[in-house]
Amino acid sequence: MLARATEAKVAMPVTEPVLTKRIPTAPWGDPKNRRTVGVDDFIATGGYKSLEKALDITPADLVNLVKDANLRGRGGAGFPCGLKWSFLAPPDGGRRYLCINCDEAEPGTFKDRLLCDYDPHLIMEGIAIACWACQLDTAYFFIRGEYHHQAKVVEKAIQEAYAKGIFGKQGLMNGKVKFAVDCYLHRGAGAYICGEETGLLEAVEGRRGWPRLKPPFPAVKGLFGRPTIINNVETLAAVGPIVDKGVAWWKSLGCESSIGGAPSYGPKLMGVSGHVNRPGVFECDLGIPLRKLVEDYCGGMRGGKKFKGAIAGGVSMGILGTDQFDAPMDFDIGRKFDVMGLGTACPTIFDEDTDMVAVARNIARFFKNESCGQCTPCREGAGWIYKIISRIERGDATTKDLDLLLEIAGSMGIIPGTTICGLSDGNNWAIRTIVNKFRGEFEARVKPYSVAVSSVGVSAGVQLSVLR
Amino acid sequence: MSWTTKPSATTKIPTRAEPYCTQAMKDRWTKELLPRYATKQGALLPILHEIQHAYRHIPYQAMVEIASFLSIKPADVMDTVTFYEEFHTEPVGKCVIGICQSIACEVCGHQKLLDHVRNRLGIEPHETTDDGKFTLLALECLGSCDTAPVALFNETLHEKLTIETVDRLIDEASRADGGSGHH
Ligand SMILES: Cc1cc2nc3c(=O)[nH]c(=O)nc-3n(C[C@H](O)[C@H](O)[C@H](O)COP(=O)(O)O)c2cc1C
Ligand code: SF4
Ligand code: FES
Repeated sequence: MLARATEAKVAMPVTEPVLTKRIPTAPWGDPKNRRTVGVDDFIATGGYKSLEKALDITPADLVNLVKDANLRGRGGAGFPCGLKWSFLAPPDGGRRYLCINCDEAEPGTFKDRLLCDYDPHLIMEGIAIACWACQLDTAYFFIRGEYHHQAKVVEKAIQEAYAKGIFGKQGLMNGKVKFAVDCYLHRGAGAYICGEETGLLEAVEGRRGWPRLKPPFPAVKGLFGRPTIINNVETLAAVGPIVDKGVAWWKSLGCESSIGGAPSYGPKLMGVSGHVNRPGVFECDLGIPLRKLVEDYCGGMRGGKKFKGAIAGGVSMGILGTDQFDAPMDFDIGRKFDVMGLGTACPTIFDEDTDMVAVARNIARFFKNESCGQCTPCREGAGWIYKIISRIERGDATTKDLDLLLEIAGSMGIIPGTTICGLSDGNNWAIRTIVNKFRGEFEARVKPYSVAVSSVGVSAGVQLSVLR
Repeated sequence: MSWTTKPSATTKIPTRAEPYCTQAMKDRWTKELLPRYATKQGALLPILHEIQHAYRHIPYQAMVEIASFLSIKPADVMDTVTFYEEFHTEPVGKCVIGICQSIACEVCGHQKLLDHVRNRLGIEPHETTDDGKFTLLALECLGSCDTAPVALFNETLHEKLTIETVDRLIDEASRADGGSGHH
């Protein structure tokens, strides 16, 4: 275990670092001491032991193990990883793919970067285990274009893994099993939508990142028309520790659902940004209350200011209100606190001086810029939402615009059934939750709605169609 | 894509005798990239990155050359090029400044950085200075929200940026290029 940082006025969490075992992180270590762990250091500290162990287990048993652990996806949707793996048909002799999702373009999110920067072999080990468990022969590590430094670190780690015989045609782990895996880095080129799993597949195929209609699901017909599993970096990084320490250990971390839903087991990387004293990535048990995360890990609110609200976990999830500071950060959060979900578990914190209309405008601009343009409700809706919020911010809007805003936002997404992918649901939830939870602030910025007819002011209740 | 298929069109793409995709590049792509993907088009993104890096844009002629190398239509290449923000059909400046404008950076003061660079260089986001030295971009979240505000100067991320640091970086970039620094 790493030396405990001296600065830490941090409450000791109940667990030891798992994903950050080799990455000094408060309260166990000082981020100043971080450096990239190369393959030799990785092996010297127990690395690739989990892979060795995994190769003694049959693929089917491994899938069941991950299923039993109830490892839920760390990329945003929280989908059970083992269940996803079990959707694959048995191998038919053709190619089968793993795509590692390191697009990490959701505003507020910067957790996968930590693993790429400092412990890339933890990801490589997870990749190798996943490929064995699912019998996938080729892995594409998809990394966003803006991660220049990380792309270099990951490429080096891939080459080191080849050199150590993890990947390559001799078979996994120097031919311990005959099954051979190739792993390639594939860089994105600046498009948030390529984080959506089927947009990602298009990007690997060299096309514009337009998400595909599902079904067929990627496990059936994915990359180059073949069975494909797409997993987030952090999800894969968790697979090694689960194999190593077992299902019971994994389930001792995190929490059960308090509302009869699926449990939230395991540790989770949480990246906190915004108005706190020590922003950064921390490893916490799922279920930690947001207030505790801010006060114990981040040194509290910056300048001793009051908490006003927080992006729940990437802007797509929507916003937690002033009275929701005690929300536990687990997969129940969506149903309990009127946000879309836990998302990436990377909250951006706002203090009392924050202009929520400006926050809404910023988020609306993001979705307008990043809509891929395929679905009319998303493309046009995102543009209109941005225009209306800008109007509110300038003071040129009326009360009617607020209703229009909510109506447009509420109609967009897979959940309302109007779009191909979930980008639009993100826009929907972000805008609706911020307007609903900070309605007073929006109302204060808009004028009462009235229409001038001749020289007489007519109130909003009048049927315009009749007047026309 | 009218620019390649209309036989009698007045639209002409600028061409030069020397190819953009050199034989050395193509040999390397054949050896290293093509075997990685089930289709030739799979190699398109890495190829475009290389061309963008080498020429600071993807010239139309290069798109035609890449298309013939990958046995796909020039229109397919153009389709991909125009979708991704990191590929440009006009040359970008030698120093591309990409300031993050997403939420964590906005609430931590990105606007004063953006305004400072606009004033100093006299360009708006997505414009390039007349001398071709600087391009200013306003980008979405760069995945470094804990050290906001941040910006990319070409491929290097700079964190916890202040106006002083931005000025220093612009000075360095101008000097590296033998320029006057746009004051
Ligand atoms: C618009 C959009 C953007 C997304 N961006 C990312 C991303 O950057 N990284 C990621 O891992 N998942 C992202 N996802 C979720 C993926 O579609 C997918 O669910 C995930 O990669 C699956 O991995 P997991 O099950 O391991 O979490 C995004 C989804 C949507 C709709
Ligand atoms: S919802 Fe938006 S981003 Fe998703 S496919 Fe449709 S237009 Fe593209
Ligand atoms: S918001 Fe600027 S780096 Fe994330």
